[in-house]
Amino acid sequence: MDQHHHSQLFKVGNAQVSRLEDIRLITGNGKYSSDWNAPDQLHACFLRSDRAHARIVSINFDKVGQIKGVIGVYTGADAKVAGYLRPPSFLPATGKGGMKARVPERPCLAIGKVRFVGDPVAMVIADSHLAAQDACELIEVVYEDLPAVVDPEDALKPGAPQLHDDVPGNNPYEAESGSEAPVTEAIANAAYVVKLTVDCTRVTASPMEPRAALIEYKADTDSYVVHTPSQGVNMTRKQFATYANLGEDKFRVEIQDVGGGFGQRSTCYPEYVSMMMAAKALQRPIKWVSTRTESFLTDTHGRANIITCTLAMDKNAQFTGLRVDWLTDQGAYLSPTGPAGHIRNPTTCLNGVYKIPALYAHFRVALTNTGWVAAYRGAGRPDIAYAIERVVDAAARELNMDPADLRRRNYVPLNEYPYKSATGSTIEIADLPGLSAKALTLADWSGFEARRAASAKKGKLRGIGMSAVIEPTGAGTYPRDEIELSVNADGLVTLHTVAHSQGQGHETSFAMVTANALGIPTERIKVRQGDADRSVTMVGNHSGGSRTMVGAGTVCHIAANKLIDAGKSLAAEDLGVEPSQVSYSKGEFSSPHSKKKITLAQLAAKKKLSVVGEGTFTSTYPNGCHITEVEIDPETGVTDIASYLSVDDCGHIVSHTIVEGQMHGAVVQGLGQVFGEHIVYDKESGQMITGSFSDYIMPRAGQLKSMQMEEYTTLSKIGPLGIKGMGESGCTASLPALVNAVSNALGVKHLDMPLTPSKVWATIQQNKAHLAKHH
Amino acid sequence: MRTFSYVKATSLKQVGELLAANADAKLLAGGMTLIPTMKARLAQPSHLIDIAGIAELSGIEVKDGKLTIGAATKHVEVAKSAVVKKAIPALAYLASHIGDPQVRNRGTIGGSLANNDPAADYPSAALSLNATIVTSKREIAADDFFQGMFTTALEAGEVVVKIVFPVPAKAAYEKFPHPASGYAMAGSFVSQHGKNVVRVAITGAGPGVFRWKDAEAALGKKLAAASVEGLSVDATDLNEDMHGTKEYRANLAKVMTKRAVAKLAVTAAASKSGGK
Repeated sequence: MDQHHHSQLFKVGNAQVSRLEDIRLITGNGKYSSDWNAPDQLHACFLRSDRAHARIVSINFDKVGQIKGVIGVYTGADAKVAGYLRPPSFLPATGKGGMKARVPERPCLAIGKVRFVGDPVAMVIADSHLAAQDACELIEVVYEDLPAVVDPEDALKPGAPQLHDDVPGNNPYEAESGSEAPVTEAIANAAYVVKLTVDCTRVTASPMEPRAALIEYKADTDSYVVHTPSQGVNMTRKQFATYANLGEDKFRVEIQDVGGGFGQRSTCYPEYVSMMMAAKALQRPIKWVSTRTESFLTDTHGRANIITCTLAMDKNAQFTGLRVDWLTDQGAYLSPTGPAGHIRNPTTCLNGVYKIPALYAHFRVALTNTGWVAAYRGAGRPDIAYAIERVVDAAARELNMDPADLRRRNYVPLNEYPYKSATGSTIEIADLPGLSAKALTLADWSGFEARRAASAKKGKLRGIGMSAVIEPTGAGTYPRDEIELSVNADGLVTLHTVAHSQGQGHETSFAMVTANALGIPTERIKVRQGDADRSVTMVGNHSGGSRTMVGAGTVCHIAANKLIDAGKSLAAEDLGVEPSQVSYSKGEFSSPHSKKKITLAQLAAKKKLSVVGEGTFTSTYPNGCHITEVEIDPETGVTDIASYLSVDDCGHIVSHTIVEGQMHGAVVQGLGQVFGEHIVYDKESGQMITGSFSDYIMPRAGQLKSMQMEEYTTLSKIGPLGIKGMGESGCTASLPALVNAVSNALGVKHLDMPLTPSKVWATIQQNKAHLAKHH
Repeated sequence: MRTFSYVKATSLKQVGELLAANADAKLLAGGMTLIPTMKARLAQPSHLIDIAGIAELSGIEVKDGKLTIGAATKHVEVAKSAVVKKAIPALAYLASHIGDPQVRNRGTIGGSLANNDPAADYPSAALSLNATIVTSKREIAADDFFQGMFTTALEAGEVVVKIVFPVPAKAAYEKFPHPASGYAMAGSFVSQHGKNVVRVAITGAGPGVFRWKDAEAALGKKLAAASVEGLSVDATDLNEDMHGTKEYRANLAKVMTKRAVAKLAVTAAASKSGGK
């Protein structure tokens, strides 16, 4: 069972404790999108809809001439002329029963109608940001208000306000996975059936760097240079090209640092293509930096799924079938990644970590008068894990069983991997029985009652919760990932990648993999991301779906070995031997058949030493068990996280610093959603009522005082390094673990997020009698 | 933000003249409310008259049982002042819990009181401690000064100069921070003056700071958390929004009051035993 021990496949020689990019980033020397400026740039400002749903009767911009420095105003009429009407959509063409996907238009500036508060109506271009802002306020729009619908279930009801003429019933898509009949039969024959509906709430990523762009038009090649936060230049080019009906070769994406991605950066937003119109018409670069209010209103939101699980069990509490009814609220328009990701990812892991012979899911998509929704750290993976891990806890509660025991009875055993699920997935490898046993021991699961009693003595309600989760990560959408390595005469290795770090630390992890393979210090590797210094963009995926270490990271290893082989051929001539007689170690080529040696630097000084490595990878399956205990103050409803343990299997770990950082960040991002983050719209007016950090509750550092992180490794064979992508898995595990713990403390079947102090306090008031008995 | 003229004032007299001459001028002390409002383009003053450097508005001193703090004194100065810590430690504690370090290093006591944000901390101290707000024109008792949400007795052109706090026998402040903004969702300042006089001021829970007189009466008889147990804050006029019901805020006001009273007992015990 050496699978369970730390990998010997790949040993990192020079342990990297801090990240190479951090000094640059924390000393203010990063270069983010708003740091790009062009000498003759103009500034854009957007006039946005102040209402949720209305017909545009007229737009009058006669008065903007009063403002000095205004160059032009653009509206939907210009969008129509340019043909910038359809953002890309990755939705499969057909859904349930052959239903054709109905992807509505989204002109980059509204034509005829506005559909959510924040929808861009006009763009002013001026020689200063201030002038553009002042001019926006002088544009007079006459609207004819229409009734708005912000609730996805309401939107699908007959008689609901219709957002788009070509999307009848606000229903753009339905899909199915698994098969319905066996699940219906399993439910009919079950000894126990437990049903639970959970709201995996709408949230927003709130990256530190606001959305921004500088867009330049190059007349000589009729092309554009784009500087905007991106998760990878190829995805950005593809999306710009699709929205603007141009070839990908018409776009260069030049960026350096990105301050947070979370899925929100993958989208080509309407503001950007609007700016293209002005950049071309005026032959001047156009710059725009979003305000935080604009971020709340118009950046893609995440989650927004209402999920009902119906779990069938036999008399031994073995799971026999699971039905999932999934309603995803996609807002006023379909984003490129939103609906597709929220169907594909849950389908892949519809069984969670359990052996469930019959699976069926019905996905409904609704359009509402709200901001659009896209991938958000996990994109459907945390949502399905949350729904399953909540219904399993609810089942344990109804059966009066230990939730750990109920899980143990149903885990897919190690010897059944690769496991073929009833939705057609092949899940490579995991060992939940072993992993969760380690977690339960470390968390002293069985000793909980004593801790609960001690908390009760202090007047606190203590609860314990666990989650056991798995998810698909790593697979790309591009044919391959490429890494280029070039050595210069100083022996420095330049590494080119198109996977873009948004904070993940690729400059360190890529350098570590490469340096290890080459046997040279990490500092000798310089990582360059994106299109910088290159005339031709390489092939490769963007950073998203936890794929970058599985893909581009692994290719660093492949490329380094290719570089050694290429070097051997070149060195053979110098050493006067056959390439097969050359050996390589620690930056030096030598041969026992020759007394000569030649270093990487010496070789590169004489000859071009450059290779492109490549690889293609399918999904890996990081998994884990998180156990947390909470203490609730019944007087105020405040939840204190008393302990948090994570035991994770993310395959081979290259950098513990980075993996721990990702785990911290992801767990806390989940915590944010559990305890406060929530985008809320007023049901009547459709106005966002959480449009600033005064109402949108971000997590605070003090909420998670400490966290114990442990590993339990099974190696993936998808790539030679055994890596499983893990950038999102912490979020997947923390949502259910924390809600399970709070539900346990309160003795309730379920409580929807966010578990704010006021909601917890109100629940305690309703359950006072029960709690008195229970605790 | 729109363009405006900035004037660094050097005396109260000059401030009066500038205000009289410019109807759309605003005073700038710390700017912790005004600047964000201007950035959101919700306020567009023609002039900002910076009063932060005016000597008449500075200084902290204790004399004849009264603590006087200049209106332009920053929160961090009150929080760290040895004079305040000795005279009214609860006031230093309150100041150390306003906003975040950035706010505490810019925001001023006069600005906070003049703004009278219903969730600000200082109004509860001024009201509980029965402070006198000294302005460029007159003296106003705290009981008359606060007149509901963002409203005070200040007249146009009237500038807060200093605040005079009678030093109480004991005082304590407890607040429940709003989970998003960090402002008080409910804060209770409890102070004892003489043997049987207790004043309790609640901030954050309602449309403005108010005295909880039932609690004052009960605590005047017996200064113990248990005295408040059977009481409840009238929820009728309290705030209600997505972050909490009126009932929740009434509960928080009571819990914070109990915790402030409990803290009084600890403080008292510590001072008796010679601790700090």
